[in-house]
Amino acid sequence: MQEYKRIDITKDQIVPIAERMRKNNVYLVMIHAFINKEGQMDISWDYAVDPAVESYHVVGETTVPSIGEIYDVAATWPERELNELFNIQFEGLDTSKRLFLPEDMLETQGKGQIMVTPLSELVEKNKKEAVQ
Amino acid sequence: MSYIVPIGPYHPALEEPVHAKLYTEGEVIKEAEVFVGYNHRGIEKLATERNAIQTLVLVERVCGICSHSHALTYAMAVEAINGTEVPKRGEYIRVITAELERLHSHFLWLGIACHIIGHDSMFMHIWDERELVMDLLEKMTGNRVNYAMVTIGGARRDISDDLRREILDACDKLKGPLDRITEIALTDKTIAMRTKGVGILTREDALRLGAVGPHARASGVDIDVRRDAPYCSYGDFEFDIPVVDSGDVFARVVVRALECYESIKILRQALENLPAGPINLGNKLVKIKEGQAVARHEAPRGQLSHMVVGNNSLTNYRVSIHVPSYKNTPTVPHMLRNNTVADAGLIIASIDPCFSCLDR
Repeated sequence: MQEYKRIDITKDQIVPIAERMRKNNVYLVMIHAFINKEGQMDISWDYAVDPAVESYHVVGETTVPSIGEIYDVAATWPERELNELFNIQFEGLDTSKRLFLPEDMLETQGKGQIMVTPLSELVEKNKKEAVQ
Repeated sequence: MSYIVPIGPYHPALEEPVHAKLYTEGEVIKEAEVFVGYNHRGIEKLATERNAIQTLVLVERVCGICSHSHALTYAMAVEAINGTEVPKRGEYIRVITAELERLHSHFLWLGIACHIIGHDSMFMHIWDERELVMDLLEKMTGNRVNYAMVTIGGARRDISDDLRREILDACDKLKGPLDRITEIALTDKTIAMRTKGVGILTREDALRLGAVGPHARASGVDIDVRRDAPYCSYGDFEFDIPVVDSGDVFARVVVRALECYESIKILRQALENLPAGPINLGNKLVKIKEGQAVARHEAPRGQLSHMVVGNNSLTNYRVSIHVPSYKNTPTVPHMLRNNTVADAGLIIASIDPCFSCLDR
């Protein structure tokens, strides 16, 4: 079974950790996010420090620095995805282009609609729009 | 003269929807952009409303070619949260399915590459051999895609002794055609002229941009999850990881052809030493305990990871899927630069892209 280490950090440790990892040629597995049970945003940067995965968590922040300068597209694509689906702001990230969601949907409904709203509410909303 | 050449989202040289914009000077591409998202189905969101068994069915539908990889990785993540110990025989059956899947995926890609290169007789020859692997998978699982071989805590179907011997025989049968395919790929003039020196990704770029799988190994980066972070009894088997340094499309053909030999090596060891015992822990619907885990698997295209958050209930709290094409597709603009427009289709296809995986 693969090991998974959870490490809680603060916002200003994100960039130094990324720089250290990049220097050692460690792969950035993914930047994940979810809203935890207390309703706070839990963002995690997962690095493949073989054979384990080291996961650095920042809880309760919706504006965090981007590590796109360090990891290039390996970081900017996940950051753009999280920006669209969760409306997390990454400082220094170019979000002028869409990644996954259609442009008209981003304009009319805004970012962060998909993953933040519960599925039952989305279904109700779509039903109402279909009736109109 | 400078032009902007759009390719896609639907194009004969691409199997799946992707849109590329090429900024050209005459025949040469100076800058390129890739746009994805034409297949976004919101699978991560749907998974939050489903229990573990339903999610296995759902994540298998993320991708048609590496469907077993998704189900396997999701099951590994849930087992990591719950602390489930999978029976040895179940793990071996998972490995056998995964390696057969890798074989058929690599044959498929080699065929498509030859088709784009313009070597159609080779394409038909390779896909003919691929049918042998597909027949084995169908016999083993009942399906040609979406094998449904994984359940939480083991494998869903057993491999009988007759079938075990049949797959071993097929490993011998595959050897001859594979030798022939590799020989043609390495020596044929058409393939060499279309692929050598085309779409180069240097080792530094591969590391910086985070390329994974055969795509990174063709650029001289020695990574493979099966060896670096062993799972599912992969530590029991002896196999090599082919690495080529040149980083062009030719290197990607060579790496994938050589990887087929390693898959056969693993298959043979797994089948010869298939342990006795139960294949799973019964068909009970499991609760996903409180916790979080990331599972990684070397899918045919590279490192695949699933992050699962449990909330001590039947349904997932959050599932996040991160696929190899997510890492490899952003490297495409770097490879397109200073190549000709005629090679663009081949270069995009050379990463073995899967956009339904990427968009989820």
